[in-house]
Amino acid sequence: MMMPPDNAVILTQELKKDYELGAETVHALRGIDMQINKNEFVAIMGPSGSGKSTLLNLIGCLDTPTSGQYWLGGQEVSQLDDNELARIRNRQIGFVFQTFNLLPRTTALHNVELPLIYAGVPARERHERATEALDAVGLADRVTHHPSELSGGERQRVAMARALVNQPSLLLADEPTGNLDSATSEEIMEILVRLHERGETILLVTHERHIAAYSNRLITLKDGRIETDEHHTIGVPIA
Amino acid sequence: MNVFDAMILALRQVWAQKLKSFFTLLGVIVGVMFLISVIAVVEGMNRYVEEDFASSIFGINTITIERVRSRRGGREDARTRRQRSRNPWVKTADAEVLREKVPDIWYMAYNVDRFMPEVRSGENKRKNVRLIGVTDQYLALQGWDVVEGRGLTRIDETRAIRVAVIGDAIAKKLYPDNSPLGQDIRLGPFRYRVVGVLERQGGLIGNIRDASVVIPWGAYQADFSRRRDVVDQIQIRFRTSEAMVAGQGATEEILRARHRLRPGEENDFSIETASEVLDAWNAVKNVLLAAGPGLVAVALVVGGIVIMNIMLMSVLERTREIGVRKALGARRIDITRQFLAESATLSSVGAGLGMAIGIVLAKLVDVATPLPASVPVWSIVLGVTLGMFVGLVFGVYPAIRASRLDPIVALRYE
Ligand SMILES: Nc1ncnc2c1ncn2[C@@H]1O[C@H](COP(=O)(O)OP(=O)(O)OP(=O)(O)O)[C@@H](O)[C@H]1O
Ligand SMILES: [Mg+2]
Repeated sequence: MMMPPDNAVILTQELKKDYELGAETVHALRGIDMQINKNEFVAIMGPSGSGKSTLLNLIGCLDTPTSGQYWLGGQEVSQLDDNELARIRNRQIGFVFQTFNLLPRTTALHNVELPLIYAGVPARERHERATEALDAVGLADRVTHHPSELSGGERQRVAMARALVNQPSLLLADEPTGNLDSATSEEIMEILVRLHERGETILLVTHERHIAAYSNRLITLKDGRIETDEHHTIGVPIA
Repeated sequence: MNVFDAMILALRQVWAQKLKSFFTLLGVIVGVMFLISVIAVVEGMNRYVEEDFASSIFGINTITIERVRSRRGGREDARTRRQRSRNPWVKTADAEVLREKVPDIWYMAYNVDRFMPEVRSGENKRKNVRLIGVTDQYLALQGWDVVEGRGLTRIDETRAIRVAVIGDAIAKKLYPDNSPLGQDIRLGPFRYRVVGVLERQGGLIGNIRDASVVIPWGAYQADFSRRRDVVDQIQIRFRTSEAMVAGQGATEEILRARHRLRPGEENDFSIETASEVLDAWNAVKNVLLAAGPGLVAVALVVGGIVIMNIMLMSVLERTREIGVRKALGARRIDITRQFLAESATLSSVGAGLGMAIGIVLAKLVDVATPLPASVPVWSIVLGVTLGMFVGLVFGVYPAIRASRLDPIVALRYE
């Protein structure tokens, strides 16, 4: 069995995911081999149904593959049990969703505190770190607001603060700008660029080429397989 | 997930939907309310029987000695009736020997009584009165309080002074406008000076006390006695039940000897204790205590099922939240704990409400009915613990359902 190189944050080999739908089997991923290194900013594109979200969910340990291997930071995770996966999601991965997925009945601050709660961080430190994280995305004055009192862009920034508060080694964003207008999308992307510059490793799923242009590597999927995988220069429009 | 956070969350939800929460919690509320009020009444009755009731009528740790007589209309056959009518009377001499020889006597009194067709004062009269001749500790032994004036003393007794303590009904009838104290009442040909009025007893058995005229033993002997030195009842109270048992034995021995009964011969006197009254109350109490838990259990189980339903709905409504929490690193145990804390908090709120209503109810019973009620602390602890326990038990299934949700499926849930 192969071992991942030291600088690989993600390494997958023949990663497959099937869904059973009644008598029918949907092959969402038909064998993904990829390596993503530290501080890469990868955009994943592809037609609807090509398996982008499925791949991101596997990488984020929200789901387990039907077959194949997956190393996250040198650790084989396809065999881990529920609790160990939860721990990885908590400590190593930050998620940003298209629909924000903030808890509606509570404040921005509490939303950002959630990962720290599950990490067992004591209340006072939790409070401090969550406040800092909100400050870092420019929402210092919105800590006590409920999600319904925030704009779409602000909600997504709360979600980003939440994804980052536990200092994960990997940030996963599934169409984070999908529900935002272009100006707000820019703001979100600028935050991602800043994070990348600070050394964060980022995987971003998007349908929009100008959003993908913020990355330095583009992977396209088709029918559950990698179609193209190219490095490019940040900011250069993608044909 | 911190248990405290889950509790806050649950409390917020209860508060946000007060009416719905009330109906959700109705079962638990009723269960705990019932538990607390039933215990309160049982406790109250217990106390009443042990402290007031028993001490006033038969009295705790008190024995009552009477001659066994044949009763009119009794069920005994002709032979026993004849035999019983030959039973010797209990005499003052018997009583005085007992006073001397029975160990550890606390209070002792004896009395004799008769029916009087009327008692008058001036124009006013009261018919059907019980006249009781008593030794000085009688009122204390009966637990009859004097609300006006004084009771009877040793001096009244020994000097055969014509004084009387009268019941409330008589006082009201003879002296509707002024105080009876110092007034003279006429009992047959004799005048007695009223020195005290008894506290009103009221209720069903009230006219026994309220229609009584109590006079000193000596005066009774001089003016009303039909059989000199005959005692109707001797009452002896002891400080402890052990002393009573010993005293009862001693009494029996002494009286048997004085009445020259041979071994094997039946007692020609009876010694009764309060235990018969207590036994009756215990029977009632046992019924309450046997039926009570069943009713409480039914209410709590129904309440628990409602809570379980509400929690299942809550889990469904918050499927997405559960997905988010899992994506952020919540383990199964975290989710389980969150929902358990929530259902326990929910039912604790119900238990708290039930407790409050139960206490109010007990107070109402205490104030508005002759039944005494007192809420012991342990019943509150028990009620609230049971309430919380119901939430925990019936919250297990919804909580486990929640914890088993697949994060991807949960996140997709609309
Ligand atoms: N839970 C599921 N059960 C059955 N089939 C599924 C499930 N999730 C995904 N699929 C199927 O797997 C395939 C890949 O889905 P996926 O969500 O990864 O696509 P995607 O590339 O993210 O699409 P989009 O751009 O529309 O978000 C699709 O055909 C989809 O219908
Ligand atoms: Mg998708």
